Amino acid sequence: MVSSRPALQAVDLSMRYSGRHVLRSVNFALAPGEIVALTGENGAGKTTLLRCLAWRTRPHTGDVYWHGEPAAHNGPGRAMVGLAAHETGLYPYLTARENLLFAARMHGLDQPSAKAAHWLSAAHMSACADQPAASLSKGTRQRLGLARALIHEPTILLLDEPFAGLDARSAAWLTDLLLNYRRQGRALCFSTHDLSVAHALGDRLIRLDRGCLQELPAHGARPSRAA
Amino acid sequence: MAAFWWLLQKDLVTEFRARQSWPTMVLLGGVIAMVFGLQLDGLTETRQALAGTMLWIATFFAAMTGLDRSFALERQDGCWECLRSYPISSTTLYLAKFASQALALALLQVVLTPLFIVLCHVAWQAPWWATLLVAALGNVCLAAVGTMIGALTSGMKHSGGLLVAVALPLTVPVLLAAADATRLMSAGQCDSAWWRWTNLLAVFAAIYLSAGAVLFEFVVED
Amino acid sequence: MNAHAASPLRRSTLDVFCAMLLVAVFAAIFWLAPEEQTMGPVQRIMYVHVAVAWCGLLCSIATAGAGALYLWRRTLVSDHWAQAAAEWGFLCCGLTLATGSLWAHEAWGVWWTWEPRLTSMCVLWTINCGYLLVRANLDEPHRRARVAAVIAILGALDVPLVVMATRWFRGMHPESPSMEPAMLGVLALTAVGFTLFSVGIVARRRGQLERLSQLEIAEFEQPQ
Repeated sequence: MVSSRPALQAVDLSMRYSGRHVLRSVNFALAPGEIVALTGENGAGKTTLLRCLAWRTRPHTGDVYWHGEPAAHNGPGRAMVGLAAHETGLYPYLTARENLLFAARMHGLDQPSAKAAHWLSAAHMSACADQPAASLSKGTRQRLGLARALIHEPTILLLDEPFAGLDARSAAWLTDLLLNYRRQGRALCFSTHDLSVAHALGDRLIRLDRGCLQELPAHGARPSRAA
Repeated sequence: MAAFWWLLQKDLVTEFRARQSWPTMVLLGGVIAMVFGLQLDGLTETRQALAGTMLWIATFFAAMTGLDRSFALERQDGCWECLRSYPISSTTLYLAKFASQALALALLQVVLTPLFIVLCHVAWQAPWWATLLVAALGNVCLAAVGTMIGALTSGMKHSGGLLVAVALPLTVPVLLAAADATRLMSAGQCDSAWWRWTNLLAVFAAIYLSAGAVLFEFVVED
Repeated sequence: MNAHAASPLRRSTLDVFCAMLLVAVFAAIFWLAPEEQTMGPVQRIMYVHVAVAWCGLLCSIATAGAGALYLWRRTLVSDHWAQAAAEWGFLCCGLTLATGSLWAHEAWGVWWTWEPRLTSMCVLWTINCGYLLVRANLDEPHRRARVAAVIAILGALDVPLVVMATRWFRGMHPESPSMEPAMLGVLALTAVGFTLFSVGIVARRRGQLERLSQLEIAEFEQPQ
């Protein structure tokens, strides 16, 4: 189901690092209940774009809107967005449970202990709940990082290569989670190198190439520049 | 308010388990105390006059080391960025980080002050309330400035060196006031001159803490 | 004549004006100012010392002000003013310490003493050093501007200490020594002259930074 107002809108985003063009006047819209798959070569700027959309990195020019509200200087609005990046945001010396509990408390959630327990169970991490995050395997840390990013149930989810490093069971869990979120009307954008995953999950495919966004069609048709 | 306590708890638990900042701070402070005591062995009057200064120099450098380690720990795996993304005010974040640094400095002073007195054979005639007051005010100033500059410079190239390069000139007036107040009170002279230095410390503490609470919003944005 | 052609002419006019100011100031110091009885010709250092000290303090305040303006308006123009003022302020504070040291050697018999005014000015100079060091370690313009602005605002807290040091703390530095009207006149002229010169230099440097920034943007905007 796609509502008329986009859940997330980026207008004329531009960004450069050390003279290198990363984003060039990128315009992008994400509708509620939509999954957009973002692809591109290594170093294309996918991570930078997602960070700008989450307003973790301030673009040099351009604006981002979350449900119509500007992202800049929008402290309370941050609760609407969840960014799961390469860096998991986990405190290595806190246990899995403590990390989730801390995130739930910081978001001001009701019954943070129950929320943390629910996510530990949902992500199949109950067995390692009381182990320090630093001692967990890479895949488990990744699931825990995802759980941390999503614990406050944001309406806009931005995921940076969420399937990288996940085993088949974890990938299936994540796929179910994202499809469930889509059914709930949340807006999702995830980056991936795996075109099969992109085609399988994404309602739309976009590609970042030399700072510009291109809308990728279904198999066989020519690509067009994203509006 | 709750967020302040959770943040402080997280810092204290992390530091207790990691044991990266506090032991390094105490070790560095102890080494400075040893070197000072060793070099001025036999020079009683000089030691007595310089003890306050050396104590605060040791506290400053130990504090900077601790701050650098603390923020490096926070920066691991994108934790600092996630912290900035939570819907908590920058003032709350600043005060929580400040409180954890202040506690670390208090622990350091509890260890360093007796260490200096013993290793340097300093005759300590200061009343307990004066010792606490000067220690607390100096502690607040160092923690207020250090938290601010530590957050600013962490993640940059040569963050440790930059932290000291920027924090030292900002805290020189504090160190001078604290050193003079310590020198006077260790000789039992809690008179008008001592109150002047202590009042100056109080003014700096108020200014730096207020400036930190206001400006931290600009420190945490990206 | 279009706007771009006018700019080099304006810059040249500014350069000539600044040069003439300097000449006038030094002419006043060496030919207008009467010779002081005790210290002789060496006392003339005082005119330069007071003027550059005043400019150093003014630049520190300007840096903090421009930084605060950046934090409010988020335009890099403010940051260019802040950087230009900080660079000139760093030089002025350094010159203050150097000229003060020359004067102190003649007046007090020492090159340096840790009295309150000198100490607080030295602190201000090292704050400027720290400010420029931090700027040099950050590449991204807006992050650099924001971080530098915070440091400049904190650093400006030292300015009242420098100004009031002789009043709040006992020290050797003269507070407001009595001088002949002719000397006071030259002092005022030197202070005004150096201030105008500083404004010109800072404006020139800001223009350079602006043009550098525009070059970067133009390079960025070039189609690939």
